[in-house]
Amino acid sequence: MNREQTNENMLAVRNLKVVFPMAHGVIRAVEGVDLDIKKGESVALVGESGCGKSVTSKSLMKLLDTPPALMRVDDITLDGESLKDYSEKKMQDIRGRHMSMIFQDAMTSLNPVMTCGRQIDEMYMRHQGMDKKEARKHTIRALELVGVPEPKSRARNFPHELSGGMRQRVLLAMAFACMPKLIIADEPTTALDVTIQAQVLDVLRDMQRTHGVSLLLITHDLSVVSNIAETVYVMYSGKIVEKAPMKELFRTPYHPYSEGLLKSVPKLSDEGKQFVQIPGSVPHPMKKPSGCYFHPRCPYATEECRQSMPPLEKRGEDRLVRCFHPLKHDAKEAKTA
Amino acid sequence: MNEKTSGSDYILEMENVSVDFPVKGFTAFLKRQKISAVSDVSLRIEKGQTFGVVGESGCGKSTLANTMIGMVKPTAGRVTFKGKNLFELDRKSFKKTRRDMQMIFQDPFSSLNPRFNVHDIISEPLLIRGDATEEEMKARVVELLELVGLSKDDIDRHPSDFSGGQQQRIAIARSIILNPDFLVCDEPVSALDVSVHAQILNLLTEIQEKLGLTYVFISHNLAVVKNICDRMVVMYLGKVMEGGSAKAIFDNPRHPYTLALLTAVLDTDVDKEKEEIILEGDIPSPIDPPQGCRFWQRCPHAMEGCKNVPVPEVEIERDHYVACHHVNGFPDTDLPEGYDRPVKTEEAERKDKSHPLKTEESVESKTDA
Repeated sequence: MNREQTNENMLAVRNLKVVFPMAHGVIRAVEGVDLDIKKGESVALVGESGCGKSVTSKSLMKLLDTPPALMRVDDITLDGESLKDYSEKKMQDIRGRHMSMIFQDAMTSLNPVMTCGRQIDEMYMRHQGMDKKEARKHTIRALELVGVPEPKSRARNFPHELSGGMRQRVLLAMAFACMPKLIIADEPTTALDVTIQAQVLDVLRDMQRTHGVSLLLITHDLSVVSNIAETVYVMYSGKIVEKAPMKELFRTPYHPYSEGLLKSVPKLSDEGKQFVQIPGSVPHPMKKPSGCYFHPRCPYATEECRQSMPPLEKRGEDRLVRCFHPLKHDAKEAKTA
Repeated sequence: MNEKTSGSDYILEMENVSVDFPVKGFTAFLKRQKISAVSDVSLRIEKGQTFGVVGESGCGKSTLANTMIGMVKPTAGRVTFKGKNLFELDRKSFKKTRRDMQMIFQDPFSSLNPRFNVHDIISEPLLIRGDATEEEMKARVVELLELVGLSKDDIDRHPSDFSGGQQQRIAIARSIILNPDFLVCDEPVSALDVSVHAQILNLLTEIQEKLGLTYVFISHNLAVVKNICDRMVVMYLGKVMEGGSAKAIFDNPRHPYTLALLTAVLDTDVDKEKEEIILEGDIPSPIDPPQGCRFWQRCPHAMEGCKNVPVPEVEIERDHYVACHHVNGFPDTDLPEGYDRPVKTEEAERKDKSHPLKTEESVESKTDA
C-alpha cells in the first residue's frame, strides 16, 4: 500500500534491556537490542529458545509483568510516536489498534468460554466504537479474508470446536481486525502440522503484503523465515549477532552461529545419515560465558573471543555482524554484489 | 507389504490391523458412531532397520505406534513381535516381551517426572524389573548418561535444570536401560528447537549403530525421515497412502498426498525455484470415513468415484506401494454393489495429462482382501 514511504521506520527500538532479578542472581534476558522495522516490511527475529526473542516481543508490547521483569529502553517509537513513557491505560489503546500480536498456541490464547466471533467483535467494539451488529459484520468479513470457510457459522463456534489451523486463522483475523501498523507474530506456526503451516504462512504473507502492514516474525526455524521475511535479525543469548537482508543471510551468513542455524535445518536434498549440528547448547542465562557468548560452541573461536565481546559492526550495506572473525564468502560475495 | 514371505528377519509384523474407538452419539436416536483411527494397515519391520511413519496429526500414527507396543488393542488384525502374537500372550509373558520394546515420547518435559532426579528417572525401569542392586543401577545410569552425551555430575539434578534437548537425552537413556531391541520414537524432535534436532537425530543413529536397535520413527517432517529411514509408510486418516522403501518413495513419489507433504517441507535454499502444492482445508473427521479414498476431499486430482471405490495398495515398483486411483487407475473388478465403473471427468483427464509424474507404464492392480 504505502510502498513509496518505505524508507521511514514503522518501529524503532533503541537499546532495549530486560533483566529478571532472581534470588540467586540476575538473568539478563535482553542486552541492548536495537530493532528497525520499515513501513510495510516484514522482519524476522530468529534464535533458539532461551535467547530472549519472546521477551523482546513482549516488552515491545509492554506485556511483561514488572516486577519480576525490569525493562530499560532508550526509546521505542511506533510510527514516529514514542511509546517509552506511555501508561498502561494508553498502551491499551495502542494494543490491537496500532500494534497487535499473534501467539504460538491458539488454544491457550483464545478465551474458551466465548465464541470466536465475540472475541473478534470485541476488537471493533473496543477500538472503533461499533455496536454489536456492525462489529459482527466486520468480523465475518475479517474471517473471510483469512480464508475461514463459512465465516458466518464459524463465528458462532467456540475455540474447541475448531481445528488448530482454523484457530490460528481466527487469531490472524483478530490481529488484522483493526488493520494495525505493526503485527508481532510469536512462533505462529510452531504448533501446527506441515501442510497447515504452509496454509497459515501463505495467509499471513498475503495479508501482510496486500495491506502493507509491518510484520515482526519471531521464530526458531530459519526455513519459515525464507518464505516470508525481508530482513532477518539473528539473536543469541540476549544480543543481536547478525542483521542482514534475508536472501543475503541465507546465501552468505557472516556469523558462525547463523551458519550453524542454517546448516542444522534438515533438508530434502541432504544425503547420508548424519545431520550437521551446532555442538553444545545455549548458555544458562545466569551463567553466560566471558567474551563472546557464542565462543564455547564456535569452531572459529580464538583467545580474543574468550576475552572480550565483539561489537555489532557494519559490514557491507544493510548488514551488521557481531564477530571478530566473520565468515568469508569471497566467490559468492562477488556474485551477489 | 501384502504378500507373505517366510523368514524371521522381521521383528514386528502387523496384518490388517484396524483400531476403532467408539464415540457417544449426541442423542440415543443417533446410531453409535466410531472413530476409525487406524484402518487395515499391514506392515513388517525388519530387524536393525529404521521404519518411518509419516503423516499429520490425526492421521493415526500415534495410535499405530501404541498398537505396535501393545498399549492399544486392535479391533481387528494381528500384531506379531518376534513371532509371538502380542495380544494372545498371558499377562506375565506380555510384560516380559514388553521389556524388549520401548518408547520415546514427543515432549520430554511432560514425559519426565519433575520431582524425580536424573538417577531415579533413568533407573526406574530397572527398579521395576527388580533384579539389580543399588550399585549396579548407579553404574548403569552413569554408563548411559555418558552414552547419551550427559555427564555423570548431572545424576542428582532434576529435569527442570536441563534444556529441551538435554531432557530428550534423559528420556532416551531411560528408554534403553533395559536393553530393548525395538524402540518407537514418537516425534522425538518436533517439540525441540530446529538447531537441536540434528543433535538428537545424530545421537539416535549413533545409539542404533552401537546397540543394533530397530527403530520406528514417527514424524511429520519428511526431510528428517528421508535421512534416517530405510522403509516407511505415509499415512492419512488411518490409512496407508504410500509405503515401501524410503529411497523408492523419495526418488519417485507418486501419491498426491506425499507430493503435497514434500513441497510443504520448507527449505533454506533461497535460490531454488520450487512449486508449492498447498492443500486446502483440514484433515476431515475420522468419524465414519468414506469407503473409497480418504484423501479425496483435499486431493487436487480427485476424480468422480474416488470417494466410493475402495483403493487397493498396488506395488508400482519393487518395494513401493501406492494406494491411489489417480496413479493406478480404477480396479476393474470388485466394485461395491450399486456403483458403476467410474469415469474420469474431463477436468481430471486434463490434469492427468499435465501431471508430470504420471507415466504410461501399466501396473498390475492387486485388489485388497
